[in-house]
Amino acid sequence: MNQVGAVGLIAALVFAVYGMITGAIAGKLRSPRMLKSAQRAVLGFFAMATLAVVSLEYLILTNDFHSAYVASHSSRELPLLYKIPVLWSGQEGSLLFWTWLLSIYVGLAVLLNRRKNRQLMPYIISICMGVATFFTLLTFWVANPFNQLSLATATGTTPYTPPDGNGMNPSLQFHSMVIHPPMLYLGYVGMAIPFAFAMSALMTRQLGDNWIRVTRRWVMVPWMFLGTGIVLGGHWAYHVLGWGGYWAWDPVENASLLPWLAGTAFLHSVMIQEKRGMLKVWNMVLIILTFFLSIFGTFLTRSGIISSVHAFAESNIGPWFSVFLAIIVGFSLTVLFLRLDFLKTENRLDSVASRESGFLFNNWVLLAAVLAVLWGTIFPVVSKAVQNVTVTVGPPFFNKVMIPIGLLLLFLTGAGPLLAWRKTSFQSIKRNFTLPLIFAAIVGGILFFAGVHQLYTWMSLFLCAFVAASIIGEFYKGARTRMKSGKENFFAAVYNLTMRNTRRYGGYIVHFGIVLIFVGFAGQAFRFETQGLMGPGDLLQAKDYMFRCESIDTGKKANYQFETVSLSVTKDGHALGVMQPQRRFFIAEQQPLSHVALKTNLARDLYVVMAGMDQESGKAIIHVIINPLVQWVWLGGIIVLLGTILALIPSRIERQMAELHKEQQAVAEAHHVG
Amino acid sequence: MSVSRLLKILVLGLALVNVATAAQAPTQVEDTIGNKVYCLCGCVTTLNHCPMLHCAEKEETRGIIRADLEKGMAEPAILQDLVNKYGEKVLAAPPAEGFNLTAWVLPGIGLLIGLLLAIAFVRKWRRPALQAAGGPAAPPVDDNVRSAVEEEMKKYID
Repeated sequence: MNQVGAVGLIAALVFAVYGMITGAIAGKLRSPRMLKSAQRAVLGFFAMATLAVVSLEYLILTNDFHSAYVASHSSRELPLLYKIPVLWSGQEGSLLFWTWLLSIYVGLAVLLNRRKNRQLMPYIISICMGVATFFTLLTFWVANPFNQLSLATATGTTPYTPPDGNGMNPSLQFHSMVIHPPMLYLGYVGMAIPFAFAMSALMTRQLGDNWIRVTRRWVMVPWMFLGTGIVLGGHWAYHVLGWGGYWAWDPVENASLLPWLAGTAFLHSVMIQEKRGMLKVWNMVLIILTFFLSIFGTFLTRSGIISSVHAFAESNIGPWFSVFLAIIVGFSLTVLFLRLDFLKTENRLDSVASRESGFLFNNWVLLAAVLAVLWGTIFPVVSKAVQNVTVTVGPPFFNKVMIPIGLLLLFLTGAGPLLAWRKTSFQSIKRNFTLPLIFAAIVGGILFFAGVHQLYTWMSLFLCAFVAASIIGEFYKGARTRMKSGKENFFAAVYNLTMRNTRRYGGYIVHFGIVLIFVGFAGQAFRFETQGLMGPGDLLQAKDYMFRCESIDTGKKANYQFETVSLSVTKDGHALGVMQPQRRFFIAEQQPLSHVALKTNLARDLYVVMAGMDQESGKAIIHVIINPLVQWVWLGGIIVLLGTILALIPSRIERQMAELHKEQQAVAEAHHVG
Repeated sequence: MSVSRLLKILVLGLALVNVATAAQAPTQVEDTIGNKVYCLCGCVTTLNHCPMLHCAEKEETRGIIRADLEKGMAEPAILQDLVNKYGEKVLAAPPAEGFNLTAWVLPGIGLLIGLLLAIAFVRKWRRPALQAAGGPAAPPVDDNVRSAVEEEMKKYID
């Protein structure tokens, strides 16, 4: 199967190069035959990349340790659930996985556009296949997952198959880790498609409304995956790393946040171009930046230029990525520069107090966030290069810089939708802002008298109340208008209102999810920690909670041995149940790992870690954290996901517009052919 | 309420918040330092967040912090002591001095330049429209009428 996979990889490379060249020729000559050929190359690339992925999965599932990759990242006792993710747990496999996901995206783009966007498609295929060529070449040349193990002998080399593999990094053996990397990769990889659409629109001078409408959806999908991947990564860190937090401003975490922030800026500013024909150059810059940061994120995760707790696969691929990133910047900025004349703004700003200005300032804050995170992330490398001093840039830096930016963004999340397009009168501002501000002031007052005196925490919750009230107000006002004009009850009015404009109301739901996430962040200010040695019968108090050690047991599972402590928990004399934190020792990997015990509700998480055994007393070292409002972060993440899915559903208005546009395009293309 | 009175209340509120957080017990200082110092075992997290079991580096650094606290040293002196022993890499954020100052200043400068650019764009976009007006000024639109139009537009444009 190693040979089959290797052949699949070579064939994929051939199809990628062929598709890149024929796509470019089809675009230049406007040849339908060449376009057909390029489309077939995409399908061939998908088939061959799939063959390579299936081959590698087969090697993993059948414990073929003659394969160097399988021997390094899997073991016989690894449960099936974790054998499948072995594909993306190492450098070589993850690059192959990246390539395969790209083949799916490009295949889908070809399939969904087989009867439309005919002028854009040749260059879209060419650009996507160019990206595919880079990743396939990298996988084949630098990090080939189909290398086989061999032993050096006096006469040359002889094939070698070890009895068992090294196993998977224990910290990766967690359920959300099974889907977290694919989600992030779907986010990173997917940004190639809007980039290709944008470049193709520039190259073909097809810079009307169409490309921006199509591209918006192609940005939303990977943006959704990226956001989900980020939240799942936080969920994994919270459950596995054992320090009771979900975000540590680690370089790899930051790498995933950067394209998400740039993509968020684009999703907002694109509305100004759609509705007012403004910010055309800026939107191009944002698309280029988002794609650049996606590749930069992959580079950061995989190159190991910056130390990271998440960098599970590092190798010498840095120079390859540096050259590729330089090509992206050089190519895209050249094309953009050559087409600047076609990107003239169609309208002027009517007023500073307008939705357009709101989006402009939203973009300003989001880009400032990108700059701050990017600068903080690469500063250790810059410092080493400039002053030859190794420095660390961690949470104290990012918290100090990013919290004010985050709060500003939260304010704009609430204020933006309250402003009308073109111009908002003073009377409107007064009417729209009054109720949300009164509600926020009441909440702020209650919080202050309840003892919330930390400035940032108070401001965060105050703004959360403001944004939540403004969102609810928007739904209420819209529903009331429908109730007045029709015979709908409130719930039917809210439903119909939402489905009539899924994009707008889906967006509001996403904003509401962000509010919940910020509430969760604010809860961290009230975190409480304590630690103690515990043997059977010992007690440990953490605020109102009492922990009693019932027993310390040992056991063995297929791939690990464990020590576990049974702790009965009570609050004010009421039993809350038993918590069992574990300390696991993974046999194949020869690595220990904590397994956190959790009791959660919306108000707080009880987070208990067995940090180890005290050698002198023979007692367990128990670390208890009372973590308020953490569940709001996960809940917010789910709501952001649902809101995005809703926004992706075409609304009634959009469907009608699409039909109209299809007819117009058919007429235009008939004219073009004629 | 005047702006100056609002500002006074805000400053008083901030002062109260500072007073509430000023005095810290030794264990709190240890915890605060644990968030400002990196563990050097390779876990790439702060001392308080190092997930490694029986981490020798974590225990060694904690030992130094506790010893310094027992000597009566304050937080800045303890941090300097750790820098002397391990170098600047032990700090979770670079000190705001020398070249490291750029780490702190650049995001602020970026934010400021971005703001100026945004304002410049707004001015540029508005100016031609104002210049184009040239002739007699349009009659002022009543705010009630404008609000009604905005509500109607919201239904169709948004």
